[in-house]
Amino acid sequence: MNKIDTFFNKLKAADRTAFIPFISIGDPDIETSFEIAKTLINNGADMIELGFPFSDPMADGKVIQKSYERALKNTISMQDAFDFIKRLKAYQDIPVIFFTYYNPVFVLGPKFADGARNAGVDGVLIVDLPPEESDEFTKYIKKKDIYQIFLLAPTTDTGRMRYILSYAKGFVYYVSVTGVTGARETLPAAIRSKVEEIRKISEIPVGIGFGISTKEQVKEISGYADAVIIGSKIIQFIENNINDKSRILKEIAEFSSNIKSSLS
Amino acid sequence: MKLPDNMGHFGDYGGRYISETLMPAIIELEEFYKKIRRDNSFKKEFNYYLKNYVGRPTPLFYAKRLSDIYKSEIYLKREDLNHTGAHKINNTIGQALLAVKMGKKRIIAETGAGQHGVATATVCALFDLECEIFMGKKDVERQEQNVFRMELLGAHVNPVESGSQTLKDAMNEALRDWIANVKNTYYMIGTVAGPHPYPQIVRDFQSVIGKEVLKQIKKLPDIMIACIGGGSNAMGLFYPFIKYNKVKMYGVEAGGLGIKTGMHAASISGGRPGVLHGNKTYLLQDEFGRIKNAHSIAAGLDYPGVGPEHSYFADKKRIIFDSVTDKEAVSAFQMLCKLEGIIPALESAHAVAYLEKIKSEIKGKSVIINLSGRGDKDMHTVSDFLLSK
Repeated sequence: MNKIDTFFNKLKAADRTAFIPFISIGDPDIETSFEIAKTLINNGADMIELGFPFSDPMADGKVIQKSYERALKNTISMQDAFDFIKRLKAYQDIPVIFFTYYNPVFVLGPKFADGARNAGVDGVLIVDLPPEESDEFTKYIKKKDIYQIFLLAPTTDTGRMRYILSYAKGFVYYVSVTGVTGARETLPAAIRSKVEEIRKISEIPVGIGFGISTKEQVKEISGYADAVIIGSKIIQFIENNINDKSRILKEIAEFSSNIKSSLS
Repeated sequence: MKLPDNMGHFGDYGGRYISETLMPAIIELEEFYKKIRRDNSFKKEFNYYLKNYVGRPTPLFYAKRLSDIYKSEIYLKREDLNHTGAHKINNTIGQALLAVKMGKKRIIAETGAGQHGVATATVCALFDLECEIFMGKKDVERQEQNVFRMELLGAHVNPVESGSQTLKDAMNEALRDWIANVKNTYYMIGTVAGPHPYPQIVRDFQSVIGKEVLKQIKKLPDIMIACIGGGSNAMGLFYPFIKYNKVKMYGVEAGGLGIKTGMHAASISGGRPGVLHGNKTYLLQDEFGRIKNAHSIAAGLDYPGVGPEHSYFADKKRIIFDSVTDKEAVSAFQMLCKLEGIIPALESAHAVAYLEKIKSEIKGKSVIINLSGRGDKDMHTVSDFLLSK
């Protein structure tokens, strides 16, 4: 059984909402990003989403763009990313979602699935690979018991929601804002009703991400979602303290446990 | 076989690789376009503007002195004579009409050198549409005059500071804007690339070039040549001739400082298949699948990808892809000025330069070159290049 399923089953039994932080592998460098991942795990991360830095992150806002630019200076290869995940899994075996744009995965063909399985990746979220084009990729990961995590957006209508949910496994990622990634002070009011719409179609767990940054938002969302995903807000701590690693870790630890405490 | 198929694929290429937020808008555009593309009143309106505003048809000019030198019969399709100075306007007229019919009031577009930006700003003025142009910061600096042109036409130019600050980053930023404003915004892509149905839409609108040539010629040409950046002028000329198997087609990519140097923009000659900006196609990329920066003296060819239909025809060998260097393009630029009194765009000069590469093949044959744009915009670039030698 895929670890994501086991995880959400347990979560459901405990009636909890999961905290899934996102960071980029290699930002600001491999070792510091590894320390950041450990810090997140030690301070409440239930699952972790790890981004593979890409040259052209079309769906990302400024904070994650800059994060990738910092990471790319260290020429992170796919093997570096797999090694990172393997080490992290050895530290603590929580479910890992690998986030990427499609091209770095596409160029590896079947080799990606082998490496990802070996590293311990449980789910892969490819922001520019909709279900219409996903067969050539999922045929490789299916055999390795890795899930492709699909997204739903505020623009997705009910018909399309049904179509995507028929492909979804593990959990579905609901994009809370019509826009790119990045912290927002206010979130659209319609998130709740969209989640209710999803629930009517499928029993799959629903994670919510894009724009989430405050304790209050997390509290509100935890009332109806199975997971909260936070990226830019965390990465902002790296950008703000780029020359002070201990401060990065300290601020991320504080933020993370703060978020964790507001989850029901 | 009719291409693209109903999922937007040209064989292994094309498709729709975009974030979910944009998928509904792309599907809406596809369905709308499917209905309107055969609509007679739409065609009539498109043709009206092409004739009375753009100034079509453009001449097919017999270049006598050039023909004498190469001992062949060389014709130039004069897209440089279009309003705004290049073929780009054929597409923006069509897409602006489409946007108006869809009820979209806000237009966004990416631009490299500024030609597509100017063509977009022009039609936005004509049809009273709000216009936001995304242009890499480096391009904004080196193409000051086109930035001013766009602003005169009422567009707002957004300098893009992310990544390499050139065309590919401008396209990333346009996509980000579209993701945030998809409900009221129409994205006017400038070439035969991007997610389906854009490669088809742009091909259809640019096909006017080849369709006119079919009416202008007495017999089929032996050879056709066009430069390739994203590939819209080439597809516009070639597409109506694809079915004539005896017509040989050459797509000339930007060889920059030479393919071996890595400093070029020849996605097919020097790249490999990948996925970027919504489609699968040949791309310039490193071993990890990250996109490399392109280089060409012709800013309009300075893009690390190419339209997916070109990738398809490249694999099928229906179009032969090759490249010429910056230097060869500038020599051809000078040659055309002196021999024919025509100052070509540096992009189009790549197509002219290819004559030299196939000079033994073209002897006694008829050749049509797509002169996709005029070179007024390139004065600084050419003079800097010649002075630095």
